[in-house]
Amino acid sequence: MSTSLLDRVSAESQRLLPFDTRNLNLFGLLLVAPGAVLFLSFMLFPIAFLVYLSMTDATHAGTVIGGDTNFVGFDNYVDLFTDSQFWTSFGITWLFLAVSLVIKIVVGLGLAMLLTHARVVGKRYMRAIVIIPMGLPAIFIITVWRGMFSGARFGPFNELLATYNSAVTTLAGVVDQALFFVAVSVPEFLLVDMPVSWLSGRWSAFMAYVTTEVWLAYPFMVIIIVSALQDVPMELHDAAKVDGAGYLHRFVHVTLPAVKRPVMFASILTAATSFQQFLIPWIFNSGGPSRQNELLIVYGYREAIELNQYAYASAIMVTAIAFVGLFMWLAVRKGNLAEGVDSA
Amino acid sequence: MIAVVAILANVISVLTTWAHEKVTWPMRAARTVRLTLEQVRTGKRSVRDLAKTVAGTGGAIAVLVVLMFPIYWIFTASLSEGAGLMSTEGVFADPSTYNLDAYRWVLFESSFTDALLNSLIVVFVTVSVSMSVVIPGAYALSRHEFRGRKKILYGYVLFTQVGAGLSIATLIALYVLFVNFGLSNNLLVLGLFYAAGAIPFNTWLLKTFMDNIPVSYEEAAVIDGAGRWEVIREVILPLSKPGIAVVLVFTFLAGWNEFIVARTLLSPENYTLSVELYALATAGQYDTPWTQFSAFAILFAMPVALIYFFAQSYVESGLSFGGMEG
Repeated sequence: MSTSLLDRVSAESQRLLPFDTRNLNLFGLLLVAPGAVLFLSFMLFPIAFLVYLSMTDATHAGTVIGGDTNFVGFDNYVDLFTDSQFWTSFGITWLFLAVSLVIKIVVGLGLAMLLTHARVVGKRYMRAIVIIPMGLPAIFIITVWRGMFSGARFGPFNELLATYNSAVTTLAGVVDQALFFVAVSVPEFLLVDMPVSWLSGRWSAFMAYVTTEVWLAYPFMVIIIVSALQDVPMELHDAAKVDGAGYLHRFVHVTLPAVKRPVMFASILTAATSFQQFLIPWIFNSGGPSRQNELLIVYGYREAIELNQYAYASAIMVTAIAFVGLFMWLAVRKGNLAEGVDSA
Repeated sequence: MIAVVAILANVISVLTTWAHEKVTWPMRAARTVRLTLEQVRTGKRSVRDLAKTVAGTGGAIAVLVVLMFPIYWIFTASLSEGAGLMSTEGVFADPSTYNLDAYRWVLFESSFTDALLNSLIVVFVTVSVSMSVVIPGAYALSRHEFRGRKKILYGYVLFTQVGAGLSIATLIALYVLFVNFGLSNNLLVLGLFYAAGAIPFNTWLLKTFMDNIPVSYEEAAVIDGAGRWEVIREVILPLSKPGIAVVLVFTFLAGWNEFIVARTLLSPENYTLSVELYALATAGQYDTPWTQFSAFAILFAMPVALIYFFAQSYVESGLSFGGMEG
């Protein structure tokens, strides 16, 4: 009697549950739960907390927990989207993403084609060397590049400029000697005013960011394009050659179609990373000069940690997260991330 | 994904042949050159053809030299004399003044050893915590069907591939909580934070590795009377050893390389190596101690670079694992 009651209760509750408990493998769930919970507690929970914070008037860390904050709805977002500082940051973030992406693709494609070219000997060793940046800590690479762009007279890039200047001057001297009948001096526009403070100018700092970002990310592009190029049958190139296709023609009709999809996929991923770039602007000059180059995450970080505008910073971060969500959607739609999961 | 396994299997043979290859390459190069010259002399190969190859290779080498300029610069800078880098003409220091003073300074006089200890504490927490949740998680995702499995996988893959920079966005929320609970200047909490961030990538990596262990091994063990735990202990874990080793490396790197979270949460006495490196690099706008900075940076990056050098094929497969190759 009691067992049949239990059975009936069980069957009844089974019916009420939204899913079939017989499919619920408790053992598997228990094994995966600790990792998922740990990850979510450091990721999903803070995001929810950020969304909440962005709708309050919290300023410094004390007010956030102390409870003396008021719910202000979407006021912070209204302030944010009417703040010119936000649009500066937003614009420079997308510009940074676009410029570095184009250069990454060009550099990646160029290197990959060079390192799969039949005329190059020792390709395997060269490929090992070319992906070195991938094997170094980001903080190492970025601080080293900061040194390269040092504004000091003896910074490497300023030294290169000095070398260039003296080369131009020497050349002018030679010309002067040769044309003894006129006095030739170096035209001013050919000489660079030394030393250049790379990181103090807006656009020179921006180009420094882009250079470093490209150096950080091109190995990923190279690896992906090389593996795509290696899948192109050599016969295809030979057939095109026999048909009289020139180099450009072969590039457009044989090489590009082969790498289009992988490059697209890699572009989405690397663009998402560029969008969230923080370390390069922060270490180079804290998004300076005068906050003109603050990429979105740097902007949010500074508002929170340095300027104690927690609610405002949360609104910035939530906006950034929304765009990252967009990249995720793109990666699922255009890349083959989903196939990887579904086939697993 | 099959490529991952193939490469993992190859690693042992790669490592054994590696030393031999490295030692003998000058001889092989010399033989190739001799053979080529022979071919040209006997007319099997035209000079024009040879010239094209030499030009192509030379061009490639030139490109590599330009690309790797920062690496070469940092090495020579670390060897230069005093602040010599900043006072001599030319980009590189004078080779006749090379010395190891900067390395001596880093190892015996700077805060390197204290920071190293802090880094090792953080890394220890990161590795042990993440391993203890990644291995069971990967096993469950690989071998068990349960509700939400696909959702978790999706979440892990998306976060790994697209949202890695989100940790800074969430950092500002966590910072408030940590400060209020007095956890901000705590190496163990920092290690836990890194462990949480390392879970998605490493779980996915180990899961794809375990997917390639044939189920028939487990079935055979079950027929022999093995229980659930025995199957895991006697079949799954031993066969996943190479995958677990890779995960170990990646979780180590997660703790070793990270900078901004450590910089935000820690006070100077608890600074890890990456934060000390930053402090050295930004010591002053015009008087950064370049030689000391370079030596510090190289000693910091060396373990990572060595790991990557030895496990290069892992890394390639690991970083393009999002279905790029199979």
